[in-house]
Amino acid sequence: MSYLGALRLHFAGQFQSNVSTVNNDPAHFDNAIFKSTYQAMEGNHMRPPNGWFNPQGDAAFRLLGCTVGSAWLPSGPVPASDPVLGYIVADSDGQVPGKMVDLDPEQQLVSEIWGLQVRIADSTGNTLMRGDFEPAAFMDIWDRATGGGSGDIGAGATYQSILTGLEWGDVSASPFLTALQQAACGGTLSIKINVDGLNMDFTSPHFMCGRIAGTIGPSGDDEPQHMVIGRQFMASAAAGGNFFTPQGKLNFFPAVVDDTEGCIYLDLGNALSTANPGGPINDHGDLTLSVGDTSLGTIPADGTGGYASDPDWYARTAGVVALPLTADQLQAIAAAPLILAGTDGATISEWSNGAFLRADRYVYRLSPGDDPEIPIYATQFGKPLAGASIAFVLDSSQLQPTPAQFPYVAASPPVAEPDTALSFDTPEPTDANGVALLSIKATDPGTPRWFNNGADYGIDGQVYGIRPSFADAAMNAGPVNQWCFVSVLLWSGYTPADPVTWTDVQPIFQQYANLYPVMLRFLNLADYASVLASAGQLSLAFGLDVTDPNSMPVTRDLSPAKRAAILAWLKAPWPGEVAAPAPRTDQASLKADAFAESLAPAPPRGGKAAAAARRLVLQTR
Amino acid sequence: MIRLQRSMIAGLQGPSPQLQAVLTALQSAIELEHATIPVYLYALYSLDQTKNAEIAEIIDSVVVEEMLHMTLSSNVLNALGGAPMIDSPSFIPTYPGPLPGGVQSDLTVNLAPFSMDQLATFLQIEQPENPLNFKALAVDDTITIGQFYTAISDAIAALGESVFVDPPRNQVGPDLMWGSVVVTNVATAQQAIQTIVDQGEGTTTSPEETPGGAYAHYYRFMQIQKGHLLVATPDGGPGPEDKYAYTGAAVTFDTGGVYAVGTNPALPPGYTPGTQQAFANDNFNYTYTNLLGVLHQLFNGDVSEALFNRAIGLMMSLKGQAKAMMSGVPNPAVLTGPSFQYQPVNPAIS
Repeated sequence: MSYLGALRLHFAGQFQSNVSTVNNDPAHFDNAIFKSTYQAMEGNHMRPPNGWFNPQGDAAFRLLGCTVGSAWLPSGPVPASDPVLGYIVADSDGQVPGKMVDLDPEQQLVSEIWGLQVRIADSTGNTLMRGDFEPAAFMDIWDRATGGGSGDIGAGATYQSILTGLEWGDVSASPFLTALQQAACGGTLSIKINVDGLNMDFTSPHFMCGRIAGTIGPSGDDEPQHMVIGRQFMASAAAGGNFFTPQGKLNFFPAVVDDTEGCIYLDLGNALSTANPGGPINDHGDLTLSVGDTSLGTIPADGTGGYASDPDWYARTAGVVALPLTADQLQAIAAAPLILAGTDGATISEWSNGAFLRADRYVYRLSPGDDPEIPIYATQFGKPLAGASIAFVLDSSQLQPTPAQFPYVAASPPVAEPDTALSFDTPEPTDANGVALLSIKATDPGTPRWFNNGADYGIDGQVYGIRPSFADAAMNAGPVNQWCFVSVLLWSGYTPADPVTWTDVQPIFQQYANLYPVMLRFLNLADYASVLASAGQLSLAFGLDVTDPNSMPVTRDLSPAKRAAILAWLKAPWPGEVAAPAPRTDQASLKADAFAESLAPAPPRGGKAAAAARRLVLQTR
Repeated sequence: MIRLQRSMIAGLQGPSPQLQAVLTALQSAIELEHATIPVYLYALYSLDQTKNAEIAEIIDSVVVEEMLHMTLSSNVLNALGGAPMIDSPSFIPTYPGPLPGGVQSDLTVNLAPFSMDQLATFLQIEQPENPLNFKALAVDDTITIGQFYTAISDAIAALGESVFVDPPRNQVGPDLMWGSVVVTNVATAQQAIQTIVDQGEGTTTSPEETPGGAYAHYYRFMQIQKGHLLVATPDGGPGPEDKYAYTGAAVTFDTGGVYAVGTNPALPPGYTPGTQQAFANDNFNYTYTNLLGVLHQLFNGDVSEALFNRAIGLMMSLKGQAKAMMSGVPNPAVLTGPSFQYQPVNPAIS
C-alpha cells in the first residue's frame, strides 16, 4: 500500500521554500575570508560576490492554498457529495513552518524537508487529519520546463514520505476520509509531492514559491517510506541541461499494478514536462502503455480530461493515472517490461529485465562510530526480488566541490576524502522482501574541509556518495538513475576543551552568523555578549530534537559532538580569546566593475542549477 | 490614562459578588492585556534597531510583561474554574479602535510605526491611577485598569477560598514563564493580580514594580518621552517624587530609524490579494493565529513544556517575519506592516 493505489486523494496549490542562499558557495563557510557583501542580495550577473538570490531566507517550507482536486475510493471517484472535495491540504496550525535544508554545500541536490506537519482541513481550517511528514529529500530532479526559463526555475523534483503521529477529527461526514482513517490503522499515511516552477524574482509576490501537486494514501507497515514497490520506468540521459534531460522526454516514474482491482496506477506527476516553469503540461500526443507490441491502454492528451488539453488535469490528478487491465493483460505484463510512449517520440520503459534497486532513505548524517544499516530494496517487475546480491561503491560523481572560478569566491575543499573513513562489507543477498542491508562503519574523517590547508575553520566533516548496483552486471539491464545513490555527511570527530570556552564555540557561531543573516533579527551569533543575552533561548533551540521545526541550527548540519559542546557552553558560558584570522588572499576579487554594468540584466540561475553544474561528473568529463 | 466602562466591574462590587462576573471580568482582562501586544510589537518592529536600540529595548521589555499578564489572568481564571477563550476571531481587537473591555471611546488605538505620537498612546494606556509626579504630571482620579484589577481582587477575596477549583488546574507556572504565579487560593490570586498592577503601574510609592526591580511600564515609556533614563536620586528630597529623576543616560529617538510602514493595515481595503504585501501579511497572520491556538491549548489544560516551547517558537517566527516584512525583506521597495488579523487558512480567503 502506498499513495499510489485505489484509495488516494490528490491536491495542488503552491509551496514556499524560503531557503537561505548565502551557503550556496561552499567558500562562504570560510570564516577567515568572509565579507559582509556575501550577505547581500544577488547583483546583476552575480557581481560583486554576494549572497545569491535569497540571502535573507529563513528556510521556511509552507503549503499555500492547496486544495483537494479529487479523491478516489476503490469503487471509483468519491461522490460529489463527499465534503473532502472542498477541503484543503495545509501545513501546521500549531507550530512554525517546516524547513527546507540542504545536506551540505557540496551536496545540495538532496534538499530535505524537516518539521513539516501536513493537515487535511475543511475550507475554514478545521483539522480533519494531522500528521508529521517524516523528513525526506527530493529525488529525480530534472529540467522539467522546456521553455520560459532554465536553472532552478525550470526544475521539477519529487518527494515521497510518510505521515506519522496521525490525529483525526470527526471524519464521519466524508466517506473518503472515513475509509482513509480505517486504512491508516497502522498509524501512518503515504504522501508524494511534486514541486516545480520555483519563482526566483524577489520583486514577485510569488518569490521563493512554486507549484506543488501531491497525493496522499494509506501506507503499509512493511513497505519502504520513500519509494514505491512497483514498476519503475527508467529514463536515459540526453546531453546538456542543468539537472537531467531524459532522451525520451519523459522522466523517471513508478507504477503499481493492482491485481485485485485489475488496473495499473502510473504516477506521472514528475514525469511530464511543462511548456514553462510551473506551466501547462507539454503535449506528447496520446500516451500509450504497452508490453511488447501490445497496447494496454491510452492516456489521452486531448479532449475532456486530456492531460495536455485540460488545464485542471494536473491539479486534479497530481499526474496519477489509473488504466484498467484485463486478466489476460495482467498475465502478459507480469514478467515483461512496460513501455509508455507518446506519438511524438516520447518514450520510457522499464529495464528489459524489469529489475530495479534503490535505498529507501538516501540521505544520512553520521558521526564517527555510527554504524547504520541502510535498507536497499530490489524489485523485479514490481515484485520484491529475493536472493539478489548488491554491490556498493563509493561514488562522488554527483557531489559538488567548487572550482576556483566565477562566481565562487574561492575553491572549495575536495569531497569524499579520505575514502577510508567509511567502510562497508558485502551485504547478504536480498531477503524475501527484496531487502539487503548495507552496513556502514563510520570513522573520523578528520577535518579535510578546513580552509587554508587545514589551518582555518571550515566545513564540518566530509560528504560521500555510495552507489548500489546489482553485483551481477548482467542484471543492470538499463539506464542508471544518476540520482539513485546514498548521500552521507560524515561529521568530524570533535572533543571539546574542558571547560568549553568561547574560544571553542565562537568559530561555529561565527559561521552560522555569516551564512544565515536571518539570525541578526534575533541576535548576533558571532558576538559573545549577544549570545550570552540569548543563552536561555539558544539552549532551548539547540536542545530540541532535530525533527522539531524550531531546532537550531536550521541547517541540521551541526554534529552531535559540537551540539553537546555548545549546550555545555550555554550552560556555563566561559569567556575566551578569539584571535583574528591571519589575512588571506585566496578569494576572488570581483568588483562591481564596468564589465558587470555592461552586461544585459540576467535572471538568477539558482543554487541548485549552479550545484548541478559543478558536479564532479561534469568537471572531469 | 484609560478608563473602563463601569459595566466592566458590574457584579464585582458589594458584599456578595457573582463568581460569573469575576470570570467574565478575567476574560476581559486577558483580552485587554493581549490587546496592547500587537500595538507595542508593531511599533517595536518598525524600529531600525541599529538606530533606536534603547527605545526598542524599552518596548520589548514591556511586551514581555504583557505576555506575563495574559498568563497571570489566565491562571486566575483557571483557578476559579473558568476557561480562557483565546483562539477566536473576536479575541483580537480591531485596529484602529478602543482597547477591549469597554475602554473609553476617546482612546483610539492604532497599529502604527513608532513615533512620539504613538508613544503618547502608550503612555495613556499605561498611565497609573496616581502617577508619581516626578517633575509635573496631572493626577487623575478616575477609574483605571488598576481599579479594574482591584475590583477583581476584592471580589475574589469576598468570594473566599471555596470558589477555587481543587485540585488546582491549568496553571502555567514560573517553571515555564518567568515571574508567573501558580494560583490556588485567594492569596495567590491576589498576588497574581498585584503583579499585573505593579508591573503596569508601579506601586503608590515607587515607580519600581514589585517584585522585579524594573520600572513600571508607564515610567519606562516616559524615559523615551523625557529623552533620558529614569535614575534613582535618593538624596533628591523628602517625597516619593524626589527619589527618582529622568536625568540618566540619553534616550534619543532617531526619526530616521523607523521603517516607513503604513498605519492600521487592516483598514479597508487592506493589502491587495496577490501582492507581496498580502503574501507577507498572510504568512504573518497565519502564524499569529496559530500562536493564539497554541496559547488557547496551553491555557486550557495542555500545560506542557513542549507546547510552551512551540508557543515560543511561534513568537520567534512572528518576530523574524515582522522584522523582515517591515524592513523591506526581500524587496526593499515593499514594506509591509502586519495587520494582526485572525486567519486560520493560508493565504487568507479573499
